[in-house]
Amino acid sequence: MSGMTKPIRGSLHSKKRNKLLADVFSFITIVIIAAVIILPMYWMFRSSVMGSLDIFKAPPDFLPMGTINPLEWLWRNYAEVANSTAFNYFQFLLNSLTISVPCVVFGTATAISCAYAFARLRFKGKGFLFSLCVGSMLLPTMVTLIPLYIAWSYLGFVDSYVPLILPYLCGGGAFNIFLLRQFIKSIPRELDEAAKIDGAGYFRTLVSVIVPSIKPAIIVVALLIFITTWNDLLQQMVYIQSREQYTLVLGLTVFFSMFKADYAGIFAATILTFIPGLLVYLFGQRYFVEGIVMTGMKN
Amino acid sequence: MKKRKRSIIAIKEQRAAYIFLIPALLGLSFITYLPLLAAFGVGLTDLRVSHFFPNAPTPEFVGFANYTEIFTNPMIDFGNSILITVYFALFAVISSVIYSMIIAMLLNRKMPGRGFFRSVFYVPYILPAAAVMIGWSFLMDPTNGIVNVILKQLGLQPSLFFSSSETVIPTLVLIAVWTSGNLIVIFLAGLQNVPRVYQEAAEIDGANYLQRLRHITIPCMTPIIFYNILMSLVVNIQVVIPALSITKGGPGRSSMFMTFLMYEEAFRGGRLGRASAIAFVFFIIAAILAAILFITSKSWIFYEGGDDKK
Repeated sequence: MSGMTKPIRGSLHSKKRNKLLADVFSFITIVIIAAVIILPMYWMFRSSVMGSLDIFKAPPDFLPMGTINPLEWLWRNYAEVANSTAFNYFQFLLNSLTISVPCVVFGTATAISCAYAFARLRFKGKGFLFSLCVGSMLLPTMVTLIPLYIAWSYLGFVDSYVPLILPYLCGGGAFNIFLLRQFIKSIPRELDEAAKIDGAGYFRTLVSVIVPSIKPAIIVVALLIFITTWNDLLQQMVYIQSREQYTLVLGLTVFFSMFKADYAGIFAATILTFIPGLLVYLFGQRYFVEGIVMTGMKN
Repeated sequence: MKKRKRSIIAIKEQRAAYIFLIPALLGLSFITYLPLLAAFGVGLTDLRVSHFFPNAPTPEFVGFANYTEIFTNPMIDFGNSILITVYFALFAVISSVIYSMIIAMLLNRKMPGRGFFRSVFYVPYILPAAAVMIGWSFLMDPTNGIVNVILKQLGLQPSLFFSSSETVIPTLVLIAVWTSGNLIVIFLAGLQNVPRVYQEAAEIDGANYLQRLRHITIPCMTPIIFYNILMSLVVNIQVVIPALSITKGGPGRSSMFMTFLMYEEAFRGGRLGRASAIAFVFFIIAAILAAILFITSKSWIFYEGGDDKK
């Protein structure tokens, strides 16, 4: 309180200096924490280009130096693991893509359609339906897992990808609908009106006006669906039984439980499992933060 | 005449809306709310996987027998599962929300390479959790793992991490914090929406950084803090991948999370009825935690007058 009555203390100069000091301080802190965050990832990579005997040598080498050079190990470990029958990398990769790609396409498309209705159209029961939708965001997926498993078994779809893909034809998850709805609401309605005056119907308006203006959000949603389906070990374990159908994360988990002592192989398989998600992220990364910022999370 | 025309448009609009909503209607009924009811129903039967075989007897209605069974059978040790699940969830939510808030506030200042750092903190979130767990389990190997090597170098006590029932949950919390980059992105988005006018006004009035933090930044961020706590709770209460991929519920039963217990009962034991009862209790516990959060939130969420409700 006393600060208010006093005249502004200190010159502009010292204020600027304080700000600069604070910026420098936060930069240094971020660098240190970032190093701690990166270290485990680096260490996993380092260990994937070494021989099993060198990985746990004491004291450990920070750089992947071992009996032979890392490039050779890189080749050996990765090729060995990718060609082994235990971790059939390319087959598993293809399987994971067979699940995730349709999920991303259908999930994003249906989420856009539902979000549009919630954001723009007037209809009876909107409030009720929307609260059901938001409520389902809070419903843990594991609660519905067993009834769905029973239903899929009766329909004869266990040990196929149908139970993993089909739910994404149903709106791609409430969270994604919610996110897109927030985004559509931030677009000026005049754009819709203009399209309507030009004679465009609802579908036309959605495709030619709304979709182009919510591109960042669509990319965010596509990425999120990709990550969720790619990483969904629980449901994949439940629904996939035969080896040829294994996905990357399922294959890695089984590989790990069978060959715990093949350190180099497991590290290489782990890194190989990281790569597809990283590539997808790098591709969409530009839009990511923008997309989330513009959803106007403040309400 | 005019009124009639408007109502035709309204009917058309309504019809279009329902068509656009078909996916959501199907999803909400068939993969969300009907299964939820069914979970309760199945929990009242003795349904087993073996009932699916041809010529198998039909499952029987057993009332609340599954519920009494899970709460009284020491082999299931359900109380333990509830306790460690809630313990893990609360611990993980609080730690990751605090961690990501701090990182977001630091990242919100001017600095070179901001985009790069944002990615660094975000990337652990997109890595497959199972692979992350497997990688970490080697780094945290009690005898040779790099983490213990570093701890010893720093003169600290090495830890048993996944190999002891006392340290397994804190270890998993640590990894949960490491992977909470999604919260950071949302906090960053929120920080950019904190009105600059308030900050500047307070600065002119001579408020220091901590005062501004307490009276402006944090109050303006409360809706986002709430959102992040809620989302983090929904994710962490369902923790299962660490158990599926590395701990298998152990050591002992110290990481026998409710979701994993349900998985074991249903897909190893084939006891779908009992597993559904577990799932339903889990649902109630999750709902209670969410309700507590919603009720208490009224007293600490600050809504900026004017442009909130929409």
